[in-house]
Amino acid sequence: MADAACTAFAGKTPPRTWSRALLLTLPIALWSLFMSLRGLMQPDRSLQIASALTAAFLIALFFMMMKTSSTYRWRRWFFVALGVLFPIEFIHNVMVLRGSMGIPIEEMIAGRTPFCFLPIPLLILPAALTKTLVFPGSILPGGGMAGSGMAAMVGLWLAITLVVGKGWCSYACFFGGIEEGMAALPKKAQWKKLDPRLRLVPWAVLLAMVLLSLALFEPAYCMWLCPFKAVSEYVAARNTVGLVQNGIFVVLFAALVIVLPLLTKKRTQCTFLCPFGAFQSIFNKTSVFDIKIDRTVCSPCVLCQKSCPTMSLTDDSIKKGETLMSCMKCGACVDACPKGAAVWHIRGTQVAVKPERARLMFLYVAWAMAAMFGGTIITQGLATILQRVI
Amino acid sequence: MGGPFLLGEAFLLGLASGPACVASCGPVVVPSLLAEGAGWRLNARYLSSFLGTRFVGYLLFAAVAWELGALVSPPPAVRTLIYGGIHVLLGVVLLWYAHSIGRVCTHACAGSGLVSIGRVGKRGVSGAAVLGLLTGVSLCPPFVAAGLRAAQLSNIAAALLFFAVFFVATTLWFVPFVGLGCVRRNASVIFVARTAMILVALYYLLAGVAMLAGRRIYG
Ligand code: SF4
Ligand code: SF4
Repeated sequence: MADAACTAFAGKTPPRTWSRALLLTLPIALWSLFMSLRGLMQPDRSLQIASALTAAFLIALFFMMMKTSSTYRWRRWFFVALGVLFPIEFIHNVMVLRGSMGIPIEEMIAGRTPFCFLPIPLLILPAALTKTLVFPGSILPGGGMAGSGMAAMVGLWLAITLVVGKGWCSYACFFGGIEEGMAALPKKAQWKKLDPRLRLVPWAVLLAMVLLSLALFEPAYCMWLCPFKAVSEYVAARNTVGLVQNGIFVVLFAALVIVLPLLTKKRTQCTFLCPFGAFQSIFNKTSVFDIKIDRTVCSPCVLCQKSCPTMSLTDDSIKKGETLMSCMKCGACVDACPKGAAVWHIRGTQVAVKPERARLMFLYVAWAMAAMFGGTIITQGLATILQRVI
Repeated sequence: MGGPFLLGEAFLLGLASGPACVASCGPVVVPSLLAEGAGWRLNARYLSSFLGTRFVGYLLFAAVAWELGALVSPPPAVRTLIYGGIHVLLGVVLLWYAHSIGRVCTHACAGSGLVSIGRVGKRGVSGAAVLGLLTGVSLCPPFVAAGLRAAQLSNIAAALLFFAVFFVATTLWFVPFVGLGCVRRNASVIFVARTAMILVALYYLLAGVAMLAGRRIYG
């Protein structure tokens, strides 16, 4: 007889009944509806429809996570939608505002670039040494270079990050979705052997960009290396150097966000370049949630390793029963493991004891954050499309 | 010659400019220092080598500029050319340095020397020394500030003394870098440091070439 204690310790969690899944979805349903209220109360019909659709989308995905007990495939729908709708909305806005995706340097100096979280690690040293934010923009109108709006945003990011760690990169980042979508397209990876040292490159980018940002007093990554400039807002090129800068953005985007994910089925930009991702990894040490491998059950078939989009599992780490620091808590390995050996875990508790409870607790936090950040962006992206259609 | 008041001024200027010096030398010092072996002794050797030649670079540049009658305030076009040239050289040396790290013998019996980037006779040239010299003549903002003040002094000896005291004060800000010796070195740390060095080098090369070609970096 499979008693309760037994199922709590090992094996995969079986699918839930409809009623139980609905009950577990209730808190997120209320939160998602609350988040969509502002849009629903606007006079703009497109925004009303977009808000309702977003709330329904988020609730449905969470419900499926509860019903099927798998995480990755449902989360991926959300993440890809976020990754695709963000540039649509962003590009639409800048085109309406100034008729071009290129931002003139004067506007950057005047602090009119919208806030982006990627340069956060580059701002810390200059801010600590000179009390100045070297980010050329604001997150709220009138926020300015050292605007309180930006401070509030950074504070919110920090609070969430301390709890979910690098989970930010699976549930909040509005850049990772395009490559995750690309990686999902092919059935099999064409390139399977990737040099494991490439995983260290984001740390090198982080080190170089932090130092250059301090020396040049500007967010060097945004100026020279960010692939997402290709689908958001780049420095308006007025000479050859500007063209080189924009060329770098386009080449990096095409290679790391489109081509390599198709060939490798990995999130190659996140794994091999993003300095924010490396920085975010540090907070995996503060987060109470992590993924563990129950070595008593593990065969090891390394299916988890193959499924990991960020190469965060190695033979060694599996032997040790843990992931690398770069794990972004996407849940792919847990879903892929046929033995239920890869499990969600809360620090300080015994591994593989009630892992589903750990998963639920993580997902409530992560999905609430997803609804708050991603939900708003998805709504605005949908509204932009609807405005064109209706 | 400068009295104690003048020397005090040089020292205070150096102390105040220290963070800017550290910031502008950081992209060169930190990755190359991390790519060296561990231990505060080796790191102290790196820093003394780096700072020693940086000092020589300061004095050399000041002396030559004084002789040419353009202490630190060369016309903007000339300054851009010097700045661009130094950037290109720094980029090349950093790439060479990163390449040389790969050739360092890591066997237990190997001596714990500094990474050398070339050979003069039978001896290698310490990469730290070359980087120190180049940053010493790179016309960074604190250096220019000190130069402007030194230019008002009556003779070259006073100006050089001013620079020497200024240098000593800025050097105090470099002392904490010895602490990087405590960072454990393994293949991953060396790989990260080396790759960071290559990225910084590429930036210097690009910026340097742009300056030499008379192009503005932004806009
Ligand atoms: S690694 Fe960078 S781009 Fe990828 S999800 Fe994280 S923050 Fe976004
Ligand atoms: S280790 Fe698992 S949870 Fe972490 S990134 Fe890889 S697949 Fe996702």
